Amino acid sequence: MTENPDDTPQEPGHSLWPIGFAIGVAVVLVGLVISWPAVVLGAALTIVFGVLWIRDASRSHAPVDSAPAHELMGDTPSPGLAAAEEEHLETYGRAGFLTLATIGLGGVIGAAVVLPSLGFAVLPSFTGEAVATNDVDLGPVSNFPEGEFVITTFIGNKVQGEVSKRTAYIRNNGLSANKEPSFTIIYSRCVHLGCPVQPNGPKFEDKKVTYKDVTLTPVQPAGFGCPCHGGAYDTEGNRTAGPPVRSLDRYAFSIVNGNLVLGKHFSVGTVVGTGADAKISRYRQTYPGVHVDGIERWLYPIPVPGS
Amino acid sequence: MASKLQQERRAEFKRYKEDVAKEGKPFFPYAILHDTIMSLVVVAVIIGLAVIWKYTNQGTDVGVLGPLSTAKADPGTTNFVPRPDWFFYFLFYLLRIFKWPETVVLGTVGVPTLLLVLLIGLPFFDRRPERAILRRPVAFVAAILVVISMGVLTWKGATAKEALGSETVSLVPKWANEQGFADNKVAVAGATLFAESGCLNCHTYLGTGSSNLGAPNLSDEGAKGRGIAWQVAHLKNPSSKTPGSPMPSFAALGDENLTKIATFLEASKGPQK
Amino acid sequence: MAKSARQAQIEQAALYPLDWVEERTGLVGYTKWFLFRNVPGDVNWMQTLGAATLTAFIVQATTGVFLAMYYKPDPNSAYESVQHITHEVTLGWLVRGMHKWGASLFIILMFLHMARTFLFGAYKYPRELNWIIGVLLLVTGMAEGFTGYLLPWDQTAYWATVVGININATAPIAGPFIAQFLQGGSQIGPDTLAKFYSLHMLIIPGGLMALIGLHMYLVVRLGVTSPPWSPKAAGRPRDEPAPTGYGDYRQGLIREHREEHAQEDGA
Repeated sequence: MTENPDDTPQEPGHSLWPIGFAIGVAVVLVGLVISWPAVVLGAALTIVFGVLWIRDASRSHAPVDSAPAHELMGDTPSPGLAAAEEEHLETYGRAGFLTLATIGLGGVIGAAVVLPSLGFAVLPSFTGEAVATNDVDLGPVSNFPEGEFVITTFIGNKVQGEVSKRTAYIRNNGLSANKEPSFTIIYSRCVHLGCPVQPNGPKFEDKKVTYKDVTLTPVQPAGFGCPCHGGAYDTEGNRTAGPPVRSLDRYAFSIVNGNLVLGKHFSVGTVVGTGADAKISRYRQTYPGVHVDGIERWLYPIPVPGS
Repeated sequence: MASKLQQERRAEFKRYKEDVAKEGKPFFPYAILHDTIMSLVVVAVIIGLAVIWKYTNQGTDVGVLGPLSTAKADPGTTNFVPRPDWFFYFLFYLLRIFKWPETVVLGTVGVPTLLLVLLIGLPFFDRRPERAILRRPVAFVAAILVVISMGVLTWKGATAKEALGSETVSLVPKWANEQGFADNKVAVAGATLFAESGCLNCHTYLGTGSSNLGAPNLSDEGAKGRGIAWQVAHLKNPSSKTPGSPMPSFAALGDENLTKIATFLEASKGPQK
Repeated sequence: MAKSARQAQIEQAALYPLDWVEERTGLVGYTKWFLFRNVPGDVNWMQTLGAATLTAFIVQATTGVFLAMYYKPDPNSAYESVQHITHEVTLGWLVRGMHKWGASLFIILMFLHMARTFLFGAYKYPRELNWIIGVLLLVTGMAEGFTGYLLPWDQTAYWATVVGININATAPIAGPFIAQFLQGGSQIGPDTLAKFYSLHMLIIPGGLMALIGLHMYLVVRLGVTSPPWSPKAAGRPRDEPAPTGYGDYRQGLIREHREEHAQEDGA
């Protein structure tokens, strides 16, 4: 029994186009996270290599061994065509066309359903929709005695409510050399793995003050310590012992109508100097455990959008 | 063309199928009976644990299986020590072992990934057809080592001590009693400061605190005859009194507070009872 | 034994529904084959751990479904709904308790089942893929435990999740992206609980059920192994004598072994 190419599954021939196609898809996905030009480039690569791949695959579907189509249909071949047959004309058979159409349309439908859903699941985490905004009013500057730390608990985002409650250790440093108010505002979560950091010193609960939904408790820390794995920091947030990989995060601030207003949350490499004269090496907000400087930074080459 | 080993394996599987067809017993009822009994045991244990959990938590006493729940989540707290579920304790303790900043990623990601790769790749590392455990010495030893190390890591994770300031402060009367300085008001005040200032994050004292970072036990610090002046100077600048010490300075607490802590340390001569 | 015409009639009437279904679906035949297929005669009690793990999973799925009828996955009401389940809903404490302790038992049983499989060398040819699926089940099961831990939204839940997500963030290159995806932002926010709930209820159980289906299909297709120390192990080599290594301290096996040899000598 002769093998009928229409009955047996036809495998495409070997080619390199799928690799280019895969690279195109990968560039699209990476570009969705990093930058839009990469998406365009990736889409172009995907389409170009996809077309080449399909063309290649459909060529090998031609029934090379069976009689040419017009013979099966009973037409008499023209002399020119007969000559061309000698050169092995490749044609699309009906089976080949239907296969391609099915795969192609199936691919389009699949992409149309899956990509928006995946995008919906993944992208909002990175476009800043769920990132808490700041500009939190912490009350009059007079509530922050100069040279003393205050444990300040506040709601970061009124719309999100309790889930955005955060704590910062705030010290009023008085005026800097430029005659500007200076505050040291240290975020209370450890930069090793995010445990709540404790102030190493006595708290003065009886001197607690409340301003709207902000609570302020004076404290006299010698430094800060994390009970989880023994991380320790000094009063500027620099690491003095344990596994933390950088200094404690801080908040930017502004003074509006005599009130201290919290600004953007940022990460810190090191702090040189103390109080109003401190020089803070500032980086965009980074996850705990992730280095911001030094050779280990090469482990995290792609910055995360939306932070 | 299959290798000789592969042919052996296929022959063994063929024999297995023949043996099962000839000498085997039907799954129902022989094997499924044992499965059902074991499943019943499992369900009984689950229900039993649920019942014990509920009934040991009547009133305010916390039962042997832990409380029914802790306080509602407070994202702004400075007064809580996070713990994972018990089956993550071995990973949790790895984090304490890798305590240097450069090695953090090894403990969080490196070691678990390596273990997982070894686990998934096991059928490809071990290609010998031998099944009897005593004739697989490498597998046997590896299995024993893995079980022991995971058991030890889990147990150490479960018993790892962390010092929560609010909790250790409540231990001060007990310390005063055991060390015999209850009538010394300055020492008691110093003990409270000691509990609040994070000292127990690095030091141990009478069974509390953490020794993870190698800091000495202070239960009998007073018996070393160093004197209050030495203690105050040490607290202000530790490396001047113990060279090479990684301990940070506590000068910001102020002279009065430092003297109280020094008095407390000097009064700690080791348990009197 | 000869059957009376009456008996035959009753039998036929009872079997009629089964035949009806069988002719239209073929399922009765599969079920019969599954139930009455042969397994090695010397299977050990340790080999019930797989079924025990499956039972624990079914307990979790069932109690989980009923808990979902009362649980509210919003940070402002999650904690209160769990208190409501524990203290006010009839038998709520039992369902919640079963779910919590069932989780621990599920993990323990998976580890024990893995140890048994390792001990028996049942990860070798032709069962390599089943072992890999099993490891994936273990990892997925632990992920299920991690996502479920957040749902009561108490201090333990919240902070364990903070640290767990930050651990993910330390992974090189992709770590911060994984963490940001899990949290739904740069910190745990209003979407985090809903995302963990979706993962815990839909995505991970879907994965677990698919993997369990594959795992059981392979077990049924490839068969369970005999204990390797058994003298009547299915698949034992024929031209060597039965293994004697461990029979010396197992009375039952010695008796069998001697009987075997007695038969050979006496025959």
